[in-house]
Amino acid sequence: MNVEITGLTRRFGRTQAVNGVDLRTGQGVFGLLGPNGAGKTSLLRMMATVIPPSSGSLSLLGRNPAEHRSRQELRRRLGYLPQNLGYYPGFTVVEFVEYFALLKEMPPGRVPAAVAAAVERVGLGDKAKAKMRTLSGGMLRRAGIAQAIVNEPELLLFDEPTAGLDPEQRVEFRTLLREFGRRATVIVSTHLVEDVGAACSEVALMHEGKIAFQGTPDELTARGVGHDSGDAPLERGYSAVLAAARA
Amino acid sequence: MDTPQDVDLNRVWVGVAAQVWRRQPGRIERLVTRVLRSQGLARALLTTPSLLLPWLLASVAVLVAGAAVTAGTGQPVVALAAPGLAAAAVAYAYGPGLDPAWELSRSMAISDRMVLMTRVLAVFGVNAVLALAASAVSGTAAGIALGWLVPMTAVSALALAAATLARSANVGAAAGLAGWAITVLGGQSATGQLDAAVTKSSLVLPYLLFAAGCAAVVLFSSRNPKGTS
Repeated sequence: MNVEITGLTRRFGRTQAVNGVDLRTGQGVFGLLGPNGAGKTSLLRMMATVIPPSSGSLSLLGRNPAEHRSRQELRRRLGYLPQNLGYYPGFTVVEFVEYFALLKEMPPGRVPAAVAAAVERVGLGDKAKAKMRTLSGGMLRRAGIAQAIVNEPELLLFDEPTAGLDPEQRVEFRTLLREFGRRATVIVSTHLVEDVGAACSEVALMHEGKIAFQGTPDELTARGVGHDSGDAPLERGYSAVLAAARA
Repeated sequence: MDTPQDVDLNRVWVGVAAQVWRRQPGRIERLVTRVLRSQGLARALLTTPSLLLPWLLASVAVLVAGAAVTAGTGQPVVALAAPGLAAAAVAYAYGPGLDPAWELSRSMAISDRMVLMTRVLAVFGVNAVLALAASAVSGTAAGIALGWLVPMTAVSALALAAATLARSANVGAAAGLAGWAITVLGGQSATGQLDAAVTKSSLVLPYLLFAAGCAAVVLFSSRNPKGTS
């Protein structure tokens, strides 16, 4: 198992953002669904080692991120796209991706080819030398995806990756997800149920900091039988599980 | 023209793109990379001034600390506390409040505290050069440059060197602060001003307020961001 989480909690002052999450997953694309405030971003930030958990245990790629050396090794094998991608406006796309490749401690000799491959892979080849401040929202998102995949990570964490992408780019992105899912663990937090249906082999639904459902997209769909809220079968499953969790 | 079937055109194109887009590190970057044994840290050091708003804020705070040190001659606690103010200001300027890519940087293999040490060195180093240039026309600039910016650049460099050798930002910070403390207290002891300055009771409250302010800034700079969903 590449991700093993037991009893994970995270508290911000009086707010319990993540409340006793248990999660285990291996290679493949794992979808994290849930309404706003469900705790998806906080869970992803803990997995990205950006914030430490308040309690519980976390093992990623067989390493304990609480230990300094393990955390460093893990971060070399990690790709992370935050919900709000910060960028340096004066950097070009190539400089931006290269900067984070170097901070991931990639061997410098491998960096130029890896940067070119990542930039091409997200379809930003014609904008490679453009300044970040000149890019549209969708292009910035793709630059963020490029920095996340530049080190061919074994654990890839995407927080709302398709926000700002047009329908064609979303389809391309799902293809990229499936490609990475064949050799890495990819965890995608999203509001878009159709992204999960198209690309994920497993899905968890969070509600008020807890996992309300974990299974395959088909199993989630099956939960929606007889439920009338939602336009698509998977949406009906999502709504049914949420309704049950709220009840 | 036909393409041989065993040629992966995609791969060829990526190879060409890598060469065309390749950024050639300058002489300074190559030298810094060799000294710091990390191209990532070298890039972090050299990109510091290009992040304009953090750069301006950090520079202003460092110069204010320098002015306090220069004006407070004979008060060793002012000089001893000044690096704390400067480090807190740089941490804030390049922290979650203003650095747009701070969250992303937190997930990187190179520790953000090591990157912070390179930022401190960059802020002091460039400001020292500017202040030395200004010294030609201003006595105040000369005082701040020689009494604060140049020595602190040396101390920051010492701290970064120790951190690089020990692979620990904590070791580097301890080495830098120890070097600075020895310099300040050594000078004060020689002139016999140390006891009088430290034991002056009217200074206790300002020192405590100053220390509390620094602690608040450091806590704010290193706070964990709250999740949004």
